[in-house]
Amino acid sequence: MSKVLLDVRNLKLYFRTRSGPVQAVDDVSFKLRAGHTLAVVGESGCGKTSLAKAILRLLPRNISTYSGSVIFDGEDIMKYDDEKFRKEIRWSKIAMVPQASMNSLNPVIRIEDQLAEPLLIHEKLTKQQASVRVNEVFKIVGLPVDFLQRYPFELSGGMRQRATIAMALASNPKLVVLDEPSSALDLLTQANLMNVLKKIKHEINTTFILITHDIGTASELADEVAVMYAGEMIEYNSAEYFYTDAHHPYSQKLMASVPTLREDKELQFIPGQPPSLINPPQGCRFAARCEMKFAKCSIHPNTTQLADGATVQCWLHDKTGEVKHA
Amino acid sequence: MPSLAVKLPQEQPKEQKPILRVENLHTWFEVRRMGFFKAGDVRALDGVTFDLYEGETVSIVGESGCGKSTLAKTILGINIPTKGAIYFEDQDLSTLDKQGWRNYRSSIGYIQQDPYGALPPFMSVQRILEEPMKINGIRNKEEQARRIRQVLEEVKLAPIEDFLPKFPHMLSGGQQQRLVIARAMILEPKMLIADEPVSMLDASVRVEILQLLQGLQTKHNLAIIYITHDLSTVRYFSERIFSMYGAKIIEKSSTSALLKEPLHPYTQALFEATSDPDAENLKTFKNVPAGEPPSLMNPPKGCRFHPRCSQIIKGLCDEHIPPEFQVHEEHIAACWLYKDHQ
Repeated sequence: MSKVLLDVRNLKLYFRTRSGPVQAVDDVSFKLRAGHTLAVVGESGCGKTSLAKAILRLLPRNISTYSGSVIFDGEDIMKYDDEKFRKEIRWSKIAMVPQASMNSLNPVIRIEDQLAEPLLIHEKLTKQQASVRVNEVFKIVGLPVDFLQRYPFELSGGMRQRATIAMALASNPKLVVLDEPSSALDLLTQANLMNVLKKIKHEINTTFILITHDIGTASELADEVAVMYAGEMIEYNSAEYFYTDAHHPYSQKLMASVPTLREDKELQFIPGQPPSLINPPQGCRFAARCEMKFAKCSIHPNTTQLADGATVQCWLHDKTGEVKHA
Repeated sequence: MPSLAVKLPQEQPKEQKPILRVENLHTWFEVRRMGFFKAGDVRALDGVTFDLYEGETVSIVGESGCGKSTLAKTILGINIPTKGAIYFEDQDLSTLDKQGWRNYRSSIGYIQQDPYGALPPFMSVQRILEEPMKINGIRNKEEQARRIRQVLEEVKLAPIEDFLPKFPHMLSGGQQQRLVIARAMILEPKMLIADEPVSMLDASVRVEILQLLQGLQTKHNLAIIYITHDLSTVRYFSERIFSMYGAKIIEKSSTSALLKEPLHPYTQALFEATSDPDAENLKTFKNVPAGEPPSLMNPPKGCRFHPRCSQIIKGLCDEHIPPEFQVHEEHIAACWLYKDHQ
């Protein structure tokens, strides 16, 4: 087994608002091994993107709490000051392809110059060196090299999305965070992009965090699946078990709501809405919508490690029954 | 248990009268150069023919730019067809006068893709629902109140009194989409056109909305045109599927037959590209055609899918436009591969 590349412990990110702190990421812990892909799934507003931003420290100004530890490649990068983080971590070791990034390429700069920019700044390469590297990554994502001389509007959506992925890969990062990389693309383009990502995963062994609301597409790339609900990571499981046998009642319901093309199944939905993150319930945050809730669910559930390696935040799976922190 | 069952194939509505007939419909948009000279036409719809029966749902699948939304808008009368005809209850739309159009439009409801964009942000729920009635001459206050109550109950926005004074931004995405459906239903239409009604919603909310539409359809015997890019939701919703590519319908089939065996190589590719949640997906690559849909200003000669097709017959597919071949009963494909089926 490969070594642990990313070890997140008790990460919290709260935003300050007039009505109180929004607990966007609340006490999230997980480990990710090098070369593996973690898919973070959940409904909109559950804190998936905030988790990515917390790892990369891309924070807005209205932060009320930002704590925990992020151990990346053996070092706690939460202890770095902002300048050191910017120089040593962001983009050079951990890169991100933000949501809708294909539409955020600068329209008046050629693709090649945009892709080379992080290399010139972070790795202090010369223009020629950067150009060689840019050519390499362009081939990796499967785009013809002569497109480098074009402007973004001359490329289709799928090509621009590949270009932004090439930009993230250019500096040889150990970890790439992909935020909804394919959701704005057409079905066939999306499938082609997933093929490209899969190829990159196999060939250069990059570690990915894939943030998506589309559980079907996530299965194309995921080794592990993490389910987020109302700011908490309620289940972390290997994809192999998750897709057949999810543990948390919310994960099960989520899976039951995904339509499938190849088999007949009765779709279910979860009545109600996720709780507000400003004043979330004291106990389990899913309890109000859960069919299996019982008295204990009014107390916040512990995170339980199960025999198959999965971790679940649910009293149904906590066999010790101890209440560690009320 | 709230759930949505797979739609069973219903009795064939063949004896029924079609509520809507679309014949050889073309909608072209003129492109001008320097604002003056004609540079060509974007052929957004290029010869579309189909019938829609009472109480039936037809899904139209295809990727962006294939003409699905243009088809919806042409049927709604937002775009004027360049050629061809639309008949609604045997009435040719091109012969309608102003009052005729008003009556026609009040008998079709339109459900937009982005609920937030479709709702005026400065109007309360009550005003949003009153507006269509005012325009269409339902001025009796009691009748207005009765209809508002009825549609809000039908879309399950309860308690009704709490919702009436709210503005769209105070509603969640699912509630907004329910309001859009309520607005489409308030004039008691005979037909609904739903343009990607669930693509902006989360999986669980999506099921809720589809179930709601299914319920409305059964209750009011509505004809529905369901436009989507997502093949996996159609089986829960429709009796027939039309697959569109490059401004043409390339495959028409009953839902069960198409899902069992898609015939056209493009529909097959859509099928292959759809990921079911399954950990096995990680191990295999998808066999999907590269490239982009064709330009509709300058569509390729012959079959519009031929530049991306792996099963191309040289000299035929790239020269001649394939006609519709009846491959099985209720299953038609416009593809030269089936040229032996007549």
